[in-house]
Amino acid sequence: MILLALYCLAPFFLMLSVSLSTEHSLSTGGYSFWPREFSFAAYDYLWAKRFTIGRAYGITIFVTVVGTITNLLLTSLFAYPLSRKDFKPRNVIAFIIFFSLMFNGGLTASYIVWTRLFHIKNTIWALLIPGSLMGGMNILLVRNYFNANIPYSIIEAAQIDGAGVFRIYWRIMLPLSKPVLTTIGLFAALGYWNNWTNGLYYISDTKLYTIQVYLKKLMDSIAFLKSSDIASESAALAYKAFPMESARMAIAIIAILPILLVYPFIQKELVKGLVIGGVKG
Amino acid sequence: MPKIRSEKSSEGHSSQYENILKKNKKSKRLAEFKKTFPMYLMLIPGVIYLVCNNYLPMFGILIAFKKVNFSIGVLKSPWVGLSNFRFLFETKDAWIMIRNTLAYNAVFIILGMAIAIFVALCMAEISNRGIAKIIQPIICFPSMVSAVILSFIVYAFLSTTYGFVNRTFFPDSPINWYATAKYWPFILTIVHFWQVTGQSSIIYMASIGGIDKELYEAARIDGASKFKQIWHITLPLLKPMMTLMLLLSIGRIFNSDFGLFYQVPLGSGLLYNTTQTIDTYVYRALLELNNVGMSSAASVFQAIIGFLLVILSNALVRKIDKENALF
Repeated sequence: MILLALYCLAPFFLMLSVSLSTEHSLSTGGYSFWPREFSFAAYDYLWAKRFTIGRAYGITIFVTVVGTITNLLLTSLFAYPLSRKDFKPRNVIAFIIFFSLMFNGGLTASYIVWTRLFHIKNTIWALLIPGSLMGGMNILLVRNYFNANIPYSIIEAAQIDGAGVFRIYWRIMLPLSKPVLTTIGLFAALGYWNNWTNGLYYISDTKLYTIQVYLKKLMDSIAFLKSSDIASESAALAYKAFPMESARMAIAIIAILPILLVYPFIQKELVKGLVIGGVKG
Repeated sequence: MPKIRSEKSSEGHSSQYENILKKNKKSKRLAEFKKTFPMYLMLIPGVIYLVCNNYLPMFGILIAFKKVNFSIGVLKSPWVGLSNFRFLFETKDAWIMIRNTLAYNAVFIILGMAIAIFVALCMAEISNRGIAKIIQPIICFPSMVSAVILSFIVYAFLSTTYGFVNRTFFPDSPINWYATAKYWPFILTIVHFWQVTGQSSIIYMASIGGIDKELYEAARIDGASKFKQIWHITLPLLKPMMTLMLLLSIGRIFNSDFGLFYQVPLGSGLLYNTTQTIDTYVYRALLELNNVGMSSAASVFQAIIGFLLVILSNALVRKIDKENALF
């Protein structure tokens, strides 16, 4: 088991080690698990490039925060009427969600809908909306939580006191369902932070690169230069202009760092998510 | 009501009564409306999103039966029947991508279940809870990073000039990993399990945790060895969960992890033979080859088969264990 844990950790350690090595030691000795010559040069390079990287970082943070909050609002707003037994169309609407979980038009169709109908290519919306704003599974999860954990008598009492639907939702349902909202919120945030496909499909404007897309393009350019004729002078020049081997790994490291910071919380949710998911409404 | 109406003498009385009833009904309806209307309002944002994100693309499958010409618009483009599908299945790509998708999924499902259960069993045997509490987060962490980060990690190992593997094991005759297709079934399988093992074992850990401890105690008193306890108690009790997991993954057997098959091999064209899956083909045909017809044909093929498989697997889940059926 300890071996397995090491096996899971080692690759991250290799990245860290490469990012802390000097360029010289990498080109002579290759990547290794312990820096042969220790240096922070890669991180100095990041600091020098802080405007490009910082921008990508900022956009990622913006998208993660706005996306997660919107996701939570949309999901809980949708789940509440579904949980009310006195709301008659709830079965029809639940079916609409089920169906969207089982059948989808596929990438080509949604790509054409988003780009040709809504023209979201190269806008911030492309990073926020397609595929990630509201998940059918989460709606069912929250609905089940509402049903199982919030007694209907509380709602009835509030109704007698004259509270309207929105008031009940805002003042009773949301505060009482913090555990489930934390769970789906954390996973939504993780999803936004790690999302690189929306950037790949819809973004070509470098100003809108998220950190993941930035990393992806960095990898692309390296693969391209490697495949093109290195002997040709322009390619060699372009290759030199690219961040060093160590700097590349350093960027990847700072893209993982925020995940590492919230990981203790997510880790608890991994198990709890299962428990909540297991409660049937 | 008809009884009251038939009595002439109390006509005036009854109409008054009816009026009150009507008013009551009206105010009841008004109250009902007042109560449900905000709920409809709450549904609006979500419904708009569902329509845009899920239901419009469902109609988008019609694209697969058209010869799309964006200059005259998707709606006006001519219908071509099944010819997109015919073209697709005449290519060698169709065979390669279906074979790869199914083969990788078969390995991932069967081997994945064995590994996940093995890890869960080992975790359950660690008597020191403190150590278990440290190990569990560590083995789950790889599933937290994106496919892009994953591709950096794999590159650190496999880069031809600097990569750890070439420098350590093949310093004299470095292997060009990103140009040799035959290694990739193994590489992708290792990478996949590196990423998902921790997370997929959690569900079995939870099931094992729920097993009554007295069963083991009774078995120990009867002299059953550790292995026998696992074989005769733990595994049979895990069977429902295994079946459920198996059926759920069969519903997704035509889908693949786009990041793993596209980004981790760095989209290398030399590796198509062993890395192309339906998802990567759909993406490549759409955005790299600009061939909307082929892309939508493959995408619709995947969507329809996937739909049928989900229905089928759900029907099976329902038969075995009604509680866990999705619908």
